[in-house]
Amino acid sequence: MESEVNGILVAAHELKAPLGLMRQLALSFDFDEQNTNELEHIRAQMVDVSERAIRQVRDLTKIAKLENGLFVMEPVAVRAICDDVVRELQSLFHFNQRELRIKYANRARLVTANRELLYSVIYNFCLNAISFSGERARSELTVRDHAGKVRVGVRDYGPVLPVDVWREMRRGWIKKPTSIPMRPGSSGLGLYIASKFSAYMDAEAGAVRHRDGTSFYVELPVSRQASLFE
Amino acid sequence: MILIVTSDLILGECIARACNDEGTVILGDAFEAIERIDELAPDLIFLDLLLTGPDGFTFLNEIASYPETARIPVVVISDLDLSGQDLAIYGVVGKLQKDTMTPEMIKKFVQKHARTLKSLKTLKEA
Repeated sequence: MESEVNGILVAAHELKAPLGLMRQLALSFDFDEQNTNELEHIRAQMVDVSERAIRQVRDLTKIAKLENGLFVMEPVAVRAICDDVVRELQSLFHFNQRELRIKYANRARLVTANRELLYSVIYNFCLNAISFSGERARSELTVRDHAGKVRVGVRDYGPVLPVDVWREMRRGWIKKPTSIPMRPGSSGLGLYIASKFSAYMDAEAGAVRHRDGTSFYVELPVSRQASLFE
Repeated sequence: MILIVTSDLILGECIARACNDEGTVILGDAFEAIERIDELAPDLIFLDLLLTGPDGFTFLNEIASYPETARIPVVVISDLDLSGQDLAIYGVVGKLQKDTMTPEMIKKFVQKHARTLKSLKTLKEA
C-alpha cells in the first residue's frame, strides 16, 4: 500500500510541473502587446511542454501494462530509434541552449528489444541530460558494441551522481522513483521508468560516474538476425 | 535590470515577459549567478530555489555575505513551505509560488523594487 501511495505521489509531482508551466505560458499571452512571432513562440512551447507530459503519462501507463506481457520483443534497428529520439528532442535541446552529439560506433545494427520501450528509455535518458546539464553544455548519445552486446549511453556534464545513489543502482538499478540530491526538482521518475523498461527487455541498465557528470546506459542483446546482414 | 535565476528556461521566459519594461537576464545556475552578479548589478532578483546543482539557498547565502549585494531585493519562487524561515536576512522581499503566481504579481514586485532602486541611483547621480 505504501509503495502504491508513493508511486501516486511521485507521478503527481512530476505531472504538476508541466501543468504549472502550461498555466504560466497561457498567462503570458498578451494579444494586444505581442507580435505574431512571440505568440507563435509561446504556442510552440505550450505544445512542447504538453507533449512531454503526455509522453510521461503514456510511459506510466506502460509500466502498469508490463506485467501483462503486451510488449513484443523483436529485432530493432537501434540507430533508427536513436535518430527518432533526437529528432523529437532537437527543438528542446536547442531552446535550452544544450547540444546533443551523437556517435555511432556499433557494428551490430539490430538488437532484441521492444521498439516502444527502448524509445522511452533513450528518450528519458536524453531528457534527463537536458535537465541536468549546464547551459551551453553538450550531452553525448553513443551507441557502441560492448562485451558482445550493444550499449546505448547518454553522457551529461551536469552534477555528478552521488556515490550512494550510484551504489544503489549497482545493487539492482532503481526499485522506485528516488529524488536525487544535486538534481532537485527531479523525482527520479524518468530513470525509474527507464529501469523498469530495461528490466522487462532483459537489458542491463546502469550509470557511470564521471568527475564532471554522469552517463546512463542500457545494454541490449544483439539480435541473432543481425548476422544475416553481416 | 532584473536578474532571473532559474534552471527552467521556459519559466524564466514567462517571468521576463511579465517584466517587459525592464532589461532582464536569465541565468540557469547558482554558480554563474554568483560569478556575474557584480557585473550585472541587478535592481531586483527573481530566484527559483530549486536549481540544478547548488540550490537557491547557496546563492542567497553568498550574496547576503557581501555588503554590495546584500541590499539587492530578492523575490524567491518556490512551492516549498518556507513559513518557519526568516528569509528577510537574505534580502528576500517576497515569495511567489509557481502554482499560483501571475504576471500581475511579478509586475508589482518590479514596480515596487526596481523603480525604488532606480530612483535612488538617479538621486545619487544628480
